Amino acid sequence: MTCEYCQLLDQKGSIIYEDAEVVVAVKDTVITAGQITVFTKEHFTILEMVPDSVIQKCCVMSNKVSIAVFEALGAQGTNIIINNGLGAGQKVPHVALEIVPRRENDGLILQWQPKQLMEDEMETAYLLLKAEGDKLVNIGKKQEKKEVVNAQEPVKGKIQDKAGKKNYLMGSLRRMP
Amino acid sequence: MPDITDEQRKALEEKIKHMSPEELREFQKQQCIFCQIIAGKVPAKKVYEDEKCIGVLDINPAAKGHVLIMPKEHYVIMPQIPDKEIGHLFLVSKYLSQAMLKVMKVPGTMVYVANGLAAGQKAQHFMVHLIPRKEGDGVIDSTEKLLDLPIQRKVHLAVEHRLNQLLGIKKEVVVIDDGKEQETAAVEKKRDVPEPLPQDEKKGEEEETETEKEGGVSLDDIARLFK
Repeated sequence: MTCEYCQLLDQKGSIIYEDAEVVVAVKDTVITAGQITVFTKEHFTILEMVPDSVIQKCCVMSNKVSIAVFEALGAQGTNIIINNGLGAGQKVPHVALEIVPRRENDGLILQWQPKQLMEDEMETAYLLLKAEGDKLVNIGKKQEKKEVVNAQEPVKGKIQDKAGKKNYLMGSLRRMP
Repeated sequence: MPDITDEQRKALEEKIKHMSPEELREFQKQQCIFCQIIAGKVPAKKVYEDEKCIGVLDINPAAKGHVLIMPKEHYVIMPQIPDKEIGHLFLVSKYLSQAMLKVMKVPGTMVYVANGLAAGQKAQHFMVHLIPRKEGDGVIDSTEKLLDLPIQRKVHLAVEHRLNQLLGIKKEVVVIDDGKEQETAAVEKKRDVPEPLPQDEKKGEEEETETEKEGGVSLDDIARLFK
């Protein structure tokens, strides 16, 4: 059985953008019209298998796609969702970020009912996750060093991006009431 | 918001109007509960912290172990965040997701971003939700439907065009005739050059009508919906 997303790559018709690591496509089965899917070019089943640099690229791309969706489709908001694992409702065994355009009163229920947990339940979740979280601090730092080495290749495109971002940021500051 | 009289509110509104962008940002930060959590002024169950972001347990979780990962810097929506920080936030999400699968003993996790009020974003501070998932937990309803091909095509073209502009890619056009290609190039120039000018000059109400006329929704409008 071939993976649905890897198949999309072969057919090309629904691909909006692709490079060595990231693919952007319009699927035919979606939560709502205008939904865009960003996925890794290489076949990874779950998020945990994706190399750090590829995740970063996917996310930056998702933000760009999200901006494009705001501006091209007149969306008022976007949900970016990664369903990670069968238990999370992941339907295709290939890591993907779904960018769902939103409008006010669009009738989509992409929001959970908040729960009120007992204090001791919160506390156990906290202790369990904190113990793991504390171990992670160093990993994040190592990653940054790696990133510097990798960053040498695709400099050209990135400089332009940054300039655009800054301008936008300045613009948004000026325009806030 | 604490109770304030109309007079106080008016004075405050007046004050906000005359703030410089830097002051305004500082003011928003002071108002933001999550910035106070980050500064340690409001207690929270912090499970992760580094120099750029923190992860805390959501007090009204979708499931036990629901974590919020947020940048320490105050941003309202994703387009305001520099690429590097976005990458870092999701990287932290990956590692925390790994930890979550392990210690919460769940078969899946969901990384969820609500970007803008219409997307269900409730806080004024951008955050990534990381939620432990189980089959049939009903956290969100992501029923999918089949999309008609013409609509799919329309979306494809519209988003592709804008995305290429954002990425600075000149579309690889299969040139059918030269005249046509020149025309598209000219249109692009028109869009690129004069746009920043009216944005800078016009302020306040004038600007709002401007965006309405264009039929689109500007990102600033989306950020502003929170106030």
